Amino acid sequence: MASGPRQRQAGAMSRRAFLQASGGAAGGAWLALQAPAVLAAAQAAVAARAAGQPFRHLGAAEARGLEAVTARIIPSDETPGAREMEVVYFIDQAVGGFMAAEADTLRQGMASLDALAVETGGRPFADLPPGAQDALLPQVEDTSFFSVLHFLTVAGAFALPTYGGNRDHLGWQLIGFEHRHAWAPPFGHYDAEAMGQELPASGHGKSHDHG
Amino acid sequence: MAEQPRFPLREPVDFVIIGSGSAGGILARELSVAGFTVVVLEQGRYRRTHEFTHDELAIAFHDEYLGGQRGGDPQSFRHDAGEAAAVPEIPPAYYARMVGGSSVHFSANFWRLRPVDFKERSLLGGIENADLADWPLDYEELEPYYTRVDWEIGVSGAPGPFDPPRSRPYPLPPMPNKSSGVLLEKGARELGLHPQVAPVAILSQPFNNRASCVHCGFCMGFGCEMGAKSSTLVTMIPQAEATGRCEIRPQSTVHRIETDARGRASEVLYYDAGGQEQAQRAKAVIVAANGAETPRLLLMSASGRFPDGLANGSGLVGRNLMFNAHSSTYAWFEQPLNDYKSVQCSRIVHDFYESDPKRGFYGGGAIDARPFLSASPMLYALTGLPPDTPRWGAGFKRDLAYGFTRSMMLAASTTSLAMDRNNITLDPELKDRYGRPAMRVTYNDHPHDLAMATFLQDWAERIVAAAGAEKIWRKPVGPETIGAHLLGTCRMGDDPARAVVDRYHRSHEIPNLFICDGSSMVTSGRGQPTMTIMALAFRAAEHIGEFARRGEI
Repeated sequence: MASGPRQRQAGAMSRRAFLQASGGAAGGAWLALQAPAVLAAAQAAVAARAAGQPFRHLGAAEARGLEAVTARIIPSDETPGAREMEVVYFIDQAVGGFMAAEADTLRQGMASLDALAVETGGRPFADLPPGAQDALLPQVEDTSFFSVLHFLTVAGAFALPTYGGNRDHLGWQLIGFEHRHAWAPPFGHYDAEAMGQELPASGHGKSHDHG
Repeated sequence: MAEQPRFPLREPVDFVIIGSGSAGGILARELSVAGFTVVVLEQGRYRRTHEFTHDELAIAFHDEYLGGQRGGDPQSFRHDAGEAAAVPEIPPAYYARMVGGSSVHFSANFWRLRPVDFKERSLLGGIENADLADWPLDYEELEPYYTRVDWEIGVSGAPGPFDPPRSRPYPLPPMPNKSSGVLLEKGARELGLHPQVAPVAILSQPFNNRASCVHCGFCMGFGCEMGAKSSTLVTMIPQAEATGRCEIRPQSTVHRIETDARGRASEVLYYDAGGQEQAQRAKAVIVAANGAETPRLLLMSASGRFPDGLANGSGLVGRNLMFNAHSSTYAWFEQPLNDYKSVQCSRIVHDFYESDPKRGFYGGGAIDARPFLSASPMLYALTGLPPDTPRWGAGFKRDLAYGFTRSMMLAASTTSLAMDRNNITLDPELKDRYGRPAMRVTYNDHPHDLAMATFLQDWAERIVAAAGAEKIWRKPVGPETIGAHLLGTCRMGDDPARAVVDRYHRSHEIPNLFICDGSSMVTSGRGQPTMTIMALAFRAAEHIGEFARRGEI
């Protein structure tokens, strides 16, 4: 029924902008995602792969390009990155589903980035070495193309693995999230210490050099 | 369990209760146990505990979980009346649309008000641009009902040094302390503060045939599949249904309360699950739809006799909206905390509860330790990293990997002053899927409340520093744009010109219309209003039942 044009004025980006800016602790913003549509996309991704159709909405070259960008957002090094997490399958479905309204943004953005890559490096983005790719990304970092792709990379990396992204829990392993139904104390190092106990080894105790 | 009755629409039941949340669930149970016939009209679906999952995506996939645009009921928002209201994607009046209401998805922090909350106007005098008022009741009068809440629904906790008097101990021992609680204690004690156990409406041990918490960590925003979170869904509503006198009617969206020739509430008009209009007759109506939907419904029910909406002779229906102001301080520690496990909060600091003139502004508040949105992976990755983390690349990945297990947040929550400019009104253009006028939320925190939120953020930063944090960052304090605490919009008071309901929750204008939920609260407390809403509901039910028995309705 009547709804009015104002319902459309807050686009997908404003929610993420809100999240970045929000200092609210009311517990309200927890749901601040494109989650329903992401879920649909992820389920479709599983179906697509099961059917042996790796890409249903993206052209092979587009998919290669987008995957190459996701691989610079969460690069593969001594631990798996977006490529191993198979984030691109998630994106393929998003373009045909909840991000359909922004599919052109993704396609045109990728085309522009490829054009830039050819202009400066003589090859499409996916064919450049990582260093050259990283040198190009700052030029598109403030575009809606990059924002959409960044969001999809994170969603594809950390969504429940049963929905297509986060292959083999690789996203969760990266951050140390263990999805169990139940826990018992001690939960972390400091409460274990207060109880005079050691934290069990599964507690993501390894230290990173984070500079 | 007794089979649920199906009351005929044309025969008046004793009570129609609109809303099944923290207040509505308790009112339904109390009045049906007392022998009255009750129909509860709930706009959301009737979800059972076995339907609740840990799925960040699937939870949000349910289109009825929240109010707002996703469910075909957009809300508009503006900070000031001079602005055009826009429709944000996240509903500004943020509540769960389901049987049990927001008591199903809340974090279950469970604080009592203190004596000072009921009489700050008398103690402190007026405050510029605010309508600070005393309650028509005091802590002593509400205390027995807080104790009933403790024991009827199940609360885990232990007394703290600043707690108001209680007539019975907590029914359940505290939840285990988390690393974030240990660190809050360490830092706060070094600064001479007095951290205490965070009381929560979550079971630390089995209670009333319900299982205890298994520390899965999916509290905030999620329903508890163990039934260990003490929502009205798992506590009061099954008991109401067991009487055989209470019918829960889910997916029933009320759009009007009709009055008869005598100006009394006579029937409640709603759209059923199929979108058909229905009308349930009642001898009395209780509105418990939350502090945003309650005033919206009263305003939508305007008629020739009540041109400004029902029960609105004072003009205060929808006015004085209070959200509680907040600030957020994040920290990384060297070793893993794994704060994503178990309840959100295990320790709190209540040293700054009382207003102190020496600060130069009104207000009080509290600091708690919690993961907040970083309790689940996607929201962590989108909201939980420091501002200097690169957006992409090796630095982004490094911080993603480092921070999840090692971070915590200190949440500060404060008073909100009642202000006329903060309110719920009907949007003049926007409609929902039924053609009902959409809710328009206008909100801009009082400067004193923002000053208090910043004051507490300064303390929070000192606390995590004293606890040995290796990195600390703050989110900027600013006016709230979303409220999960919806308070003050039909305030309680003795003077019909200055309040919407009397001290027994009876509307001043319509003797058989009662209003009981967050809207009844005269002041906001310091941040966790649900326990007070529940205590008010137990007390209201006792008085309303007595009026009905005496033929005074």
